[in-house]
Amino acid sequence: MNTLRRMLSFVIFTLTEYARSGRILIELLASVVFFYLFLWRWTAQPDYFFSTVGLFALGLTFSTISAMQSLGDRPLGYLILVRRIGRGMYLLGLYLAALLIVLALYLLISLGTVLLHRITDLDARTWLLGTIPLLLNVALLGALLTLLAPMVLVAGWRLAILALVAIAFSGNLLGGLVMQRLGPLATALEVLRTIFSTPLLPAFTGFALSVSQDYSGIGFAIPLAQLSLTLSLLALAVYAFTRRELIFSGS
Amino acid sequence: MYAIEIENLSKSFDGLVVLRGLDLRAPEGQVYGILGPNGVGKSTLIHLLLGFLKPTTGMLRVLGERDLESIRGRVGYLPERLRYHLRYTGREYLRYLGRFNDMREPDLSARVNAELHTVGLIDAADRLLSTYSKGMLQRLGVAQALLNDPELLLIDEPTSGLDPAGQRAMLDLLAEVRRRGHTIFLATHLLDEAEQLCDTIGILFDGKLAREVDMRALRAPGSDVTISVASLTPELVLRLQRLAPAAVRCHGHEISLRPNTPALQARVLRTLLDADVSIVALQPRSNPLEELYLGVVRGVSGEPSSEPPGVETVGDASAAPSDPSGAVQPARPSTGDTLLRELLGRENERWRKPDGDDR
Repeated sequence: MNTLRRMLSFVIFTLTEYARSGRILIELLASVVFFYLFLWRWTAQPDYFFSTVGLFALGLTFSTISAMQSLGDRPLGYLILVRRIGRGMYLLGLYLAALLIVLALYLLISLGTVLLHRITDLDARTWLLGTIPLLLNVALLGALLTLLAPMVLVAGWRLAILALVAIAFSGNLLGGLVMQRLGPLATALEVLRTIFSTPLLPAFTGFALSVSQDYSGIGFAIPLAQLSLTLSLLALAVYAFTRRELIFSGS
Repeated sequence: MYAIEIENLSKSFDGLVVLRGLDLRAPEGQVYGILGPNGVGKSTLIHLLLGFLKPTTGMLRVLGERDLESIRGRVGYLPERLRYHLRYTGREYLRYLGRFNDMREPDLSARVNAELHTVGLIDAADRLLSTYSKGMLQRLGVAQALLNDPELLLIDEPTSGLDPAGQRAMLDLLAEVRRRGHTIFLATHLLDEAEQLCDTIGILFDGKLAREVDMRALRAPGSDVTISVASLTPELVLRLQRLAPAAVRCHGHEISLRPNTPALQARVLRTLLDADVSIVALQPRSNPLEELYLGVVRGVSGEPSSEPPGVETVGDASAAPSDPSGAVQPARPSTGDTLLRELLGRENERWRKPDGDDR
């Protein structure tokens, strides 16, 4: 209980710092511009809403998590970490603070859309079914970025993970002609791609689920897979952060 | 009981050795100062004690615990650089830091106010930290370090970057903290700071504890004296040195008694008066800590017999670079008093001998 209370205090502390830094205005402005460009000027179907807002939310997550991590990765953090909060709660506090900002902006965009009737057939049920996988994808990306933060993993490990992600995505980068030239290597690459892209399946299918809101068949398993992957990445990040030597940037 | 115990501690970063085989024990209830030039590894040592860094080899025990995570909240830390979250007021900042340590209302508010009073910031408590001067920020640093009444305070270069008035105010404040009875581990490169605040000083050099000094013995009045005379003939020099070869040094018109004793001083003065030598001045040694420190960092390995009382030669700093194993003698509890007693006893024994050399 005390652990959660400490983390909650740290989340409020971080959000206050973030708001007072003025950085929140950038996110707010970006959301307004996005809303004007993609949702204000015409009416559309829910699938359009979830695909555009889903992509925007991922971009927002990338930006906010990065900013939040740079707030945490300063020598000021030593004064917090000598206290009972502990490294794990410190990292999770930064993560949760970023997620809360993205969640708040997503709710604002949704509210604006509903009030202006820009999306037809967007009832509460549809919104909820599309929102769950969308926000889980936000949490998943946030967890991956947390794991890849410089204060969490050393450069070697970060590069290794990024290489695996690159291999997983290589299907979109390497065309048929290049693959033909690779000869036997192409088969090996295909195998590696299949192996390494499997953990990313929840993210891809989660995005599709958010757009279609089709939970039939194994659809119900997708949010669970997203949640499992998110928790695994977070556990890995906390493990790495608590084990490594702590040398904040600029110290 | 020791607040800090370090055995054979080594720390290197990418092959760069910062600490090599460090042995140190800081007793509870005392102020232990770690003195050394910039870049010698003092801040690294503090970060090791806080568990931010991990030893390459060796053992650390803080407040009796080897698991440094378990002592979170029992240790206060004042960092060297003035790095604080400047977008909060002093009061807000302390309240948050208190909450991270499970402090609850109404104790939290009372404690925050008490510490703001202690450091003289109560009137500026509701101002943003970005409007504080360097001295005020460092005082706030003391307040945050004391907030949860820690059993051990780790202080890193407390007057770094402050102007002379700010330094004076900070030293007065730390002297006040010292009176509260906290165990303090202070890292500094400033001799005055160490001399004023510490009970024991360890001189860190070349990754090792080169010397350990009991400041009570070093501060003892007349422990070492210098006698200035009008003239000193070679015959008289020989006679004086025969009185106590290890303790009497003659140089130009000065005679140093290191270590001094009332008996030795009386015999030297009698010899000088008997020889009709005019005594110009008799004064305590000006700054034994400075001499000792400079001796270490300039690579002058003082002989134990010429050290002031209370000085423990822990390892030969000047020999360290050529020692590939990096091994040092284990740090022992300070035996300054023992050394003084031993020298006094030796001196008295010589004085009592009816057919001694000095007769």
